[in-house]
Amino acid sequence: MSFIENVKKVDALIVGTGPAAAACAKRLVDAGCETVALESRELPRHKACSGILSPRGHRFLLENFGPLPKEILHTPSSASGVTFHFPSMRSVSINFDGGPTPHLHRKYADHWAMLRSGAEIHDQTEFTGLSDKGTHVDVAATRDGLPVNYRARFVIGAEGPSLAVVRAVYPDYARKIPWFVVGQKFHPIIDCPLDDRYFHFWFNAELGHYTWSHARDGRQIVGVGFLKGDNFDARHQRVVEYLEKKHHVRLGPSESPEIVTANFGPSLINRYIFGRGRVLITGQAAGFFNMIAEGMSCALHSGAVAGEAAVEAFRTSKDIQRIYRGMIASEVRRCSDQWNPLEIAFGRPHEADFRAALKRLAPGERRGVIREIFSFIRLYAPLKWGRQILWQSVCRRFTGRYPSNRWL
Amino acid sequence: MKGSDISAFAAAARVSSPAAIDHVAPDSLKGIPRRQTNPARWNGKGWNEFVTALRARNIEVCENRQTCGFYSSDSGGLAYGMPHGITLAGSAAQISAILKQAQLHRVPVTVKGGGLTTEGESVAFGGLLLDMRGMSRVISVDAQNMTVRAEAGVYWHTLAEVLRRDGLDYLSAPLNLTSSLGGTLAVGGIDINSPRLGCSADQAVSLQVVTPTGEIKECSETLNADLFERVLLGYGQFGVITEATMRVRKFTPVTMHYFYYGSLREAMEDLQMLVREDAADYCGILTIMDKAVNLLVAFDSDGRERAFFAGWRKRLRGHGELGFGLRMAWHYALRPWRVGEALYLLGRKQELEPAFNPAHFMEDGRIIDRAVVFGNQVWKFWGGRKMVIPDLATSADKFVEAIERGNAVCKKYFPRYTLYCVGIKLSGRRERYEMSCVPPDAAGFAYGCEFEPILGDTVYSREYLQAFKNEIYEIGVEMKTSYYRFGGMMKGYIRRAFGDELVEKHLAMKRLADPAMILNPDVIF
Repeated sequence: MSFIENVKKVDALIVGTGPAAAACAKRLVDAGCETVALESRELPRHKACSGILSPRGHRFLLENFGPLPKEILHTPSSASGVTFHFPSMRSVSINFDGGPTPHLHRKYADHWAMLRSGAEIHDQTEFTGLSDKGTHVDVAATRDGLPVNYRARFVIGAEGPSLAVVRAVYPDYARKIPWFVVGQKFHPIIDCPLDDRYFHFWFNAELGHYTWSHARDGRQIVGVGFLKGDNFDARHQRVVEYLEKKHHVRLGPSESPEIVTANFGPSLINRYIFGRGRVLITGQAAGFFNMIAEGMSCALHSGAVAGEAAVEAFRTSKDIQRIYRGMIASEVRRCSDQWNPLEIAFGRPHEADFRAALKRLAPGERRGVIREIFSFIRLYAPLKWGRQILWQSVCRRFTGRYPSNRWL
Repeated sequence: MKGSDISAFAAAARVSSPAAIDHVAPDSLKGIPRRQTNPARWNGKGWNEFVTALRARNIEVCENRQTCGFYSSDSGGLAYGMPHGITLAGSAAQISAILKQAQLHRVPVTVKGGGLTTEGESVAFGGLLLDMRGMSRVISVDAQNMTVRAEAGVYWHTLAEVLRRDGLDYLSAPLNLTSSLGGTLAVGGIDINSPRLGCSADQAVSLQVVTPTGEIKECSETLNADLFERVLLGYGQFGVITEATMRVRKFTPVTMHYFYYGSLREAMEDLQMLVREDAADYCGILTIMDKAVNLLVAFDSDGRERAFFAGWRKRLRGHGELGFGLRMAWHYALRPWRVGEALYLLGRKQELEPAFNPAHFMEDGRIIDRAVVFGNQVWKFWGGRKMVIPDLATSADKFVEAIERGNAVCKKYFPRYTLYCVGIKLSGRRERYEMSCVPPDAAGFAYGCEFEPILGDTVYSREYLQAFKNEIYEIGVEMKTSYYRFGGMMKGYIRRAFGDELVEKHLAMKRLADPAMILNPDVIF
């Protein structure tokens, strides 16, 4: 049988079945586009993630996919906000603006949203490569070890940090960006004074770049993030000991370790990657990450924008990259603003009022907290992002946007 | 207790502790009810049986994917949905048969006229899309009783052309004359003569309606009055309007005058004064941002024009073109860094002026066809490929504040925008005004303002435009106003704006009238 006879022709092919893929699929299917989503694993598939969604993401899910069924939530089913802990043992709790937000069970939540999108899902089908022909894109994949071929008018890479589509379009990209390792272990709880309504985050350079903990299904998650190359177990153990010593958190032996790598950085320095030709990149693969590494809400919104751009391109025959890059600018602003020191100082980029929480502290305490935040930020100095962040912040302040010439 | 026992106990306690509030329920966002405003596609159950039944009755249903694709969005261009099939409306009997079968097979039916909705109200998220443009005849003109009977799918500009042959004209119509008659009656229809004549829905004398259960009924203020009041301003929930008898008037050319303001507040206050005192036959405000605020005033007769200039002109704080031009020149001379804005205003003026005074539609300084001039030009220069027009409908007291707050939101989101403001005369306290664009606290007159970004070539994501619209609508919730467009994607605001009690009352009426809830299912409820 020839390639043409054996190929599945679709309007749009989405690689990935996470939130960005579901949102993108929803927009495409609503507009009547024949849409297929590829997933390398069997669905529903596991996803290592805190599962704490921002209020904006919560709104998106409700407005686009309907009320959340209980099955897609962990226990506790919601988080009220974030508690920041500092080395001086100061703690600041901040509630989310929109009230408590869902604690998603990603395995089922992603699958639920994907099913609700109405797209055709091909799971256990691994994307292996693509060829942009100018008028369409030929996509190669494998299922049960056998080749499967697709021909799509547009391809949307929403594959998260695996960057499968990104690697096919920009083979060198993954090698050029710093990679973080984010690992988490689950512990039985013996005694945990940490408030289980909050996501806990430590501004403590001694513990690592990204240290968090929260309750889930009767266990406590202890997570650490660090630059690739460090030792996860040692880092994790250090945090467990710190929690016991400083917060009197007594946990049982760890279970079910999970490690993922994260392309945490493009949103800080406005170095997003949005694709080339008829291939769009969206969600975490494009570099979207909110503050506290919450990636789901910007994945949902950027995924929806990718879908809208494809629909617009179908209807107008205009260059899809131009449409996408124009539309995605608002999401870039929302996401990068969260890391922008000038926006943090003079604006209100987060969905929790950190400034009001600081104001509630005594002046001396407040100064101490700010000092400790700056001390923590120094941990990122080797990445040499400081000047880039500052320059992007200035551009944003004076032009109202982040320069699009830094996007790939 | 051993460590493992404690851990198991603690885990059980955490899991089983009852939650007083469901924090992830649709109404959990700080008490803001959130709904699925971008509906899931209907599952198609019963579709084949439904289509078979219709075809057995010689009703054609087009299921061609390409054809359905033409109906996938509306003028708003933000909501997308694909019907399973499309039927071109042919007669009340045909629609009756469709709705009877739809009730039986529980198939959603979405009715579309001109498709000038902006929030996806005329977009079918599956099911049947009934295209009313198949019923677009003007049936009869009664010059003696000054009425016209027309099918509901007729465009306003067609209606105007037919009436013109008899020297007649419609009373008030929406600014975009490619709206259909039936669609307009279901939502309102506001013109710059609405301060004098009310909205289009108030010009209806009688209607032929096919109820959601398929009964064909004639209704008016004296016959089936309940149905008449429910269907007018009813957002298509209580029946399909198939024919309407509308009041008409003698056709007259229009004399137009413009007054320019640099202050929104002054212009709005002056507009309210003119509306209150019935000083002009037509009046409204169109702006370019909040920099050039244009109060337009027009007259059907020389007598009214003379009376205006004798009694009201001197009370207006607006300037003539020359005076305003000099003020603007001085304003921007002191702010040279805003030269871009000044050039934009100048360019816009040069574009608009000839368009609103087209030589081929002018005679002795009068516009001889306001339908063409307003209908074409307003939308040519104010509309875009995507119509993003959130609005606020307020009582007189709240009007100025609502506009000033909405203007601040426009500034935050867009460099260029326009506001369109009018007054609407209310004809007493009518049932039709309940849960409509008429704010509950309005007496005598209501006021409306549309906030429309001029998008130009810039592409914006739906989320960005939606965020803009939400922020305008939040003003309405805070100020307890109403909206002209509250269905479709904005229906999350319905309960917040009108309250649960009123919405439940209308929902109960809807359930009674439409047991399977099949008619325009994603618009309001």
